[in-house]
Amino acid sequence: MSWNAALPLLVLASSLVPGLIIFCLPEDAKRVRTTLNMAGVLLKLALVAFMVWGVGQGERYEVRLQMLPDIDFVLRADALSMFFALLSSLLWLATTIYAIGYLEDSPNRSRFFGFFSLCMTATLGVALAGNLVTFLLFYELLTLATYPLVVHRGTETSLRAGRIYLAYTVAGGAMLLAAIAWLHGLTGNLEFSANGFVAGLVEDHRTELIIIFALLIAGLGVKAALVPLHGWLPQAMVAPAPVSALLHAVAVVKAGAFGIIRVVHDVYGIEVAQDLGVTIPLAVLAAVTIVYGSLQALRQTDLKRRLAFSTVSQVSYITLGVAIAGPIATIGGIAHLVHQGLMKVTLFFCAGNLAETLGIHNVDQMRGVGRRMPWTMAAFTIAAFGMIGTPPMAGFFSKWFLASGGLDAGQNWVLAVLIVSSLLNAAYFLPVLWTAWFAEPDGDWPAERSYGRWETAMSLLAPTVFAAFIALGVGLFASMPFSPLQWARLVVSQEFQP
Amino acid sequence: MIEMVLQTGLFLSISAVPLVLALGLLIWPRWQFLSVLAQWAALPGLLCALLLPWATDISLPWLLLGVQLGIDAATRTFLFFTGLLWLTAGIFAGSYLAHDQNKRRFLVFFLLAMGGNLGLVVAQDMLSFYMFFALMSFASYGLITHERTANAWRAGRIYIVMVIAGELMLFAGLVLAAQHAGSILFADAAPALATAPARDLIFALLLGGFGIKLGVLGLHVWLPLAHPVAPTPASAVLSGAMIKAGLLGWLNLLPLGTVPLNGWGAALMAVGLLAVFYAAVIGVTQRNPKTVLAYSSISQMGLATCAVGMGLAAPHHWPEISAIIVFFALNHALAKSTLFLGVGIAAGRLTGNWQRGLVVAGLAVPALALAGAPFSGGGLVKELLSAQAASIAAPWGDLLKTLLSWTVLATVILMARFLYLIWPRADVTARAPAVGMVLPSAVLIGTLLLAPSFFGPAGTASIWIAPIIQSSLTNLTLALLAAVFGGWLVARSGTDRILRLPAGDLVVLAERAAVSIFAIGRRLLAAFDRLYRGGGAMLHARWQRLRWPVAPDYAMELAWTSASLLFLLLLVVFMLAAA
Repeated sequence: MSWNAALPLLVLASSLVPGLIIFCLPEDAKRVRTTLNMAGVLLKLALVAFMVWGVGQGERYEVRLQMLPDIDFVLRADALSMFFALLSSLLWLATTIYAIGYLEDSPNRSRFFGFFSLCMTATLGVALAGNLVTFLLFYELLTLATYPLVVHRGTETSLRAGRIYLAYTVAGGAMLLAAIAWLHGLTGNLEFSANGFVAGLVEDHRTELIIIFALLIAGLGVKAALVPLHGWLPQAMVAPAPVSALLHAVAVVKAGAFGIIRVVHDVYGIEVAQDLGVTIPLAVLAAVTIVYGSLQALRQTDLKRRLAFSTVSQVSYITLGVAIAGPIATIGGIAHLVHQGLMKVTLFFCAGNLAETLGIHNVDQMRGVGRRMPWTMAAFTIAAFGMIGTPPMAGFFSKWFLASGGLDAGQNWVLAVLIVSSLLNAAYFLPVLWTAWFAEPDGDWPAERSYGRWETAMSLLAPTVFAAFIALGVGLFASMPFSPLQWARLVVSQEFQP
Repeated sequence: MIEMVLQTGLFLSISAVPLVLALGLLIWPRWQFLSVLAQWAALPGLLCALLLPWATDISLPWLLLGVQLGIDAATRTFLFFTGLLWLTAGIFAGSYLAHDQNKRRFLVFFLLAMGGNLGLVVAQDMLSFYMFFALMSFASYGLITHERTANAWRAGRIYIVMVIAGELMLFAGLVLAAQHAGSILFADAAPALATAPARDLIFALLLGGFGIKLGVLGLHVWLPLAHPVAPTPASAVLSGAMIKAGLLGWLNLLPLGTVPLNGWGAALMAVGLLAVFYAAVIGVTQRNPKTVLAYSSISQMGLATCAVGMGLAAPHHWPEISAIIVFFALNHALAKSTLFLGVGIAAGRLTGNWQRGLVVAGLAVPALALAGAPFSGGGLVKELLSAQAASIAAPWGDLLKTLLSWTVLATVILMARFLYLIWPRADVTARAPAVGMVLPSAVLIGTLLLAPSFFGPAGTASIWIAPIIQSSLTNLTLALLAAVFGGWLVARSGTDRILRLPAGDLVVLAERAAVSIFAIGRRLLAAFDRLYRGGGAMLHARWQRLRWPVAPDYAMELAWTSASLLFLLLLVVFMLAAA
C-alpha cells in the first residue's frame, strides 16, 4: 500500500486509536490520558498540514477499498476536504486543551475524551469521504459519537436535550440514506467529482433529481440547522462548553454545511443544480434562516442560547454562498466555513470561561466583567465584531464576498439580507459588549473561583486567546497564501472549471 | 530598497504607533511612561505629512485584500491637520486629565480613535478606509461616554445607533461601488461611479454613510449631544478632525470632476446651505458653549457640503473647488479645535484682567477665522467660493453668491453667542490652566494665522493683492463689523429665554418615535410569543403521548455501541488495506 494511500487512513487513526485506548483507561490516569490526547492531536495536525501542503503541490491522496460489490469505501484529499480537515484539526487542538482544563475535576472523563476523539474521527471522515456512501457512514457515526457528549452531564435537562438531538439527527440521517439509495438506484455511481455526476440523468429523471435534492438537503439541513430543522441546536446548549464549541464550530453543524457544499458542487454540479432550479429556493431558505436565527438570538438572555441562535444564523451564510451559485459568493461561503468556526469557537470558549470562573450564564450577570476578565472579554470582543462583520476581522471578508457574489450573480436581494443580518448581529452583540466593558459591576459574581495570577485557568485562557488571535489574523492577512480566503479561491477555481 | 522599507515603515507607523500604544496601555497598566508616550502618539502622522516626498504610494498586497496607502496634495493637508490636532489634543489631555482616575481608560479609546483617524487619511482603498473608519467610530464611543453621566450615556446611545446605521450604509455603498468598478482602489472606483447603473443608490448610501460623520442636516442629531459631553480634548478632535473623515470619504469616492451631476449637486448645495442657517438658529438658543460650538460645526460642514455640491454640478472647475474644500477643512479643523480647547482653559481659574484678556483675544482669533474676517482663512475661503459660484449654472450662481455672504452672519452670531457664554469669570474653585493646556492652544492659533500663506490654494496670492478684490474686502469688513455688533446684541438679549430648543433638536422627536415603535414591537413580540408557546405546548403534549422509548440510562449503551461500530469499521478498513 502506497504512502499516499495510507495518509488518509493515518489521519483517521490518529484520533481513533487514542480514543479507543482512552476508553479503557481508569478514571484517574490523567497523565496517560492527556499524553494520548495531545499526541493524537499533534500527530493529526502534522499529518493534515503535510497533506494540505501536498494538495497545494498537486499531490493526490486516495484510498479505495471495496465494501460491497459495487460500493467502495473512498477517502480522498481534495482542496475542499483539506480545507475542512485543517479547520477541524486546528480547532480540535484548541478544544482538547480547553476540555482538559474545563473537565479537570468532573466524573467520567475517560468516557468523555474517548467520545471526543471518536467525534473527531467521524468529522475527519466526513471531510475526507470521497463518495456519498462513505460520507453517510461517517455522518451517521458523528451523530452517534456526539450524543454521549451532549448528555455528558447526565442531568434531566441534558438527557432531554439528547433525546431531541437524536430524534432530529436520526430522522435527518434516514432522509439522507433514502436519498442516497435512490440516487444509487438511478446512477450506480456515487463518486464526488468536480462537476457532479448526475448530468446524464437530467433528461429523463428531472423530477426525481429535484426530489432527491430536497431529501439530501433536508437530511443535511438538520445538522446545518436550517430553519425549520434547527430545533435541536438551542437545546443542545446544555452540553459542557467545549462540546458546544466543537458542535457549533467544527463537528456537527459544519458537517451539515460541508455536506451541502458537496451535494451542490460535487454531486449535482453547479450547472445542473441551476438548471433544475433548486439553488434559488435553497438560497431563500438560507436567507430566512439567517434572519430568523438573528431575531431569535436577539430575544435570548442566556449567553449560550444567544450564541446558539447566532450559529443558526451564521452557518447559513455558508449555504447562502453556495446557493447563490456564482464563483465569488461561493468563495465567501466556503471561507466562512473556517471564519465562522474560528469566531464561534472563541465565543463559546469565552462563555465557558465566564461560567467556569465566575458562574455567569446570563447576559445581565456580565456587568463589568471586562475588568475582572479582560483577556477573555477582549477575545469575545474580537469575535463579536467579526460576527457583526467589521474589518479586519474574518467575518467581514465572508460578508464582503457574499455580497459581491450576490451582486455578481444578479441576486441583489442578498445584499439586503446581509445588511439586515449585520444590523441584528450588532443589536445582539453590542449590548453584551457594553454590559461587559461599560456597565458598573453590581456586587459579587454568582460563583467565583480564584486561579491565582491569571483571570482564569491557563488551560482555558490560552485556547481562547489563541482562537481569537487566529480569527483576527485570517482577516488581517486574508491575501496571504494558505489563508482561508485564498484556499477558498483555490477550491472554487477547481469547482468552476470551464 | 532601504528608502522603500523606510517609507513603508513610516506609513505604517502613522496608525500603528497609536494602536500599539493603546495595546500597551491595556496590557501594562502600571507602566507610567506609556501614558506620557501616548500624548505624542500622533507625531509620526504629523512628520509624515511634513517629511514624506510628494505623491508617495505604497501597496501592501498581503494585508486585507491588498492595501494601498498614499499621500497626494489633498491627503497631505488632511494628514497635517489631523496629526496636529491629535498631537495638541493629546498634550492638552495630559494636563486636563491629570487628576482623572480614569485617565488610562480615556487614553486607550483616544489612541484607538487616533489610529483609525490617521490611518483613514492615508488609505487609498475602500477596505482599509472602511476599517480605519470603523475603528475610529467605535472607539469614539468610549470618548463620548467617558464622563459616565446620564447625558453622556444618552449621547452615546444615540451616537452608536447612528454609527451602526452609517457603517451599514457604507458597507452596502462600498460593495456596490467595488462591484461596478471591479476594483477597491479609490482611483479606479470614483470615476467609474459616474456611469454605474445603480449610481443614485450608491450616491445615497455614500452620502448618508459619510454624512452621518459629517453631520449633514437631518443626520446631524447625534453631533450636538455627543461632541459637548466628551472631555474637552476629545471634543476638539471629534469636532475638528474626526468630522472631516466623512468629508474625506466623499472626496475619495464621489466621481468629482468627471461628468456634471446637476441633480445631486443641487441637492447637496440646498441641504448644505439650509444647514448653515438652520444650525445657526438652533445653536444661538443653546446655553452650553460646547453645544454652540457643535452647532457651529454643523453649520460649517453645511458650507462644505454646499461646496461639494458645487463640485458635482461644475466638474470642470473641480480642481479649484477641491483645493478650496481642502483648505476649508484645514481652517475649520484648526479653528474649531482651538475653540474647544479654549473652553477648557476659560473654565480654569484666571487671575487678573490680563490673563482673561489674553484668553478672550486667543479665542477671538479662531472665532474670526471661522466667521471669515479679512486676511483670515475663513475670509479667503468665502472669497474663493464666491468666485467659483459664478461658474455654476443659473439659478444657483447668483443665489450662491448672495447666500454665501449671508453665511458670514450666521457664523458671527454663533461665535458671538459662544464668546458671551464662555466669558471668563473669576472662578476661585477651579484650577489654574496648566502650561500643557495653554501651549497646544497657542500652537494651534499660530498655525491658524499662518495657514493661508502656507496651505492656501493656488491663486491665493492674487486674491490677497488684486486691487479688484479690495472693494469686496471692504464690503466684507463692513458686513463683518455690523454682524459682530448685531451678533453681540443677539447673544446678550438672551435668545435662550425667548426660544429654548433642546440640544440635538430633531432627535427628541426621533427618540419619542423610537419609544413608541419599541412599545409596539414588544407588544407584537409578546403576542407572537403567546401564539408560539400555545402551539409549542400543544405539540409537546402530542410528543409526550408518543411515549419516547429511550430510557435515561441509554447513553452509555449507545456510546459503547457506536464506539465498537467505529472500531469494527476501521479494523475492516485496515485489514483490507493490508490485503
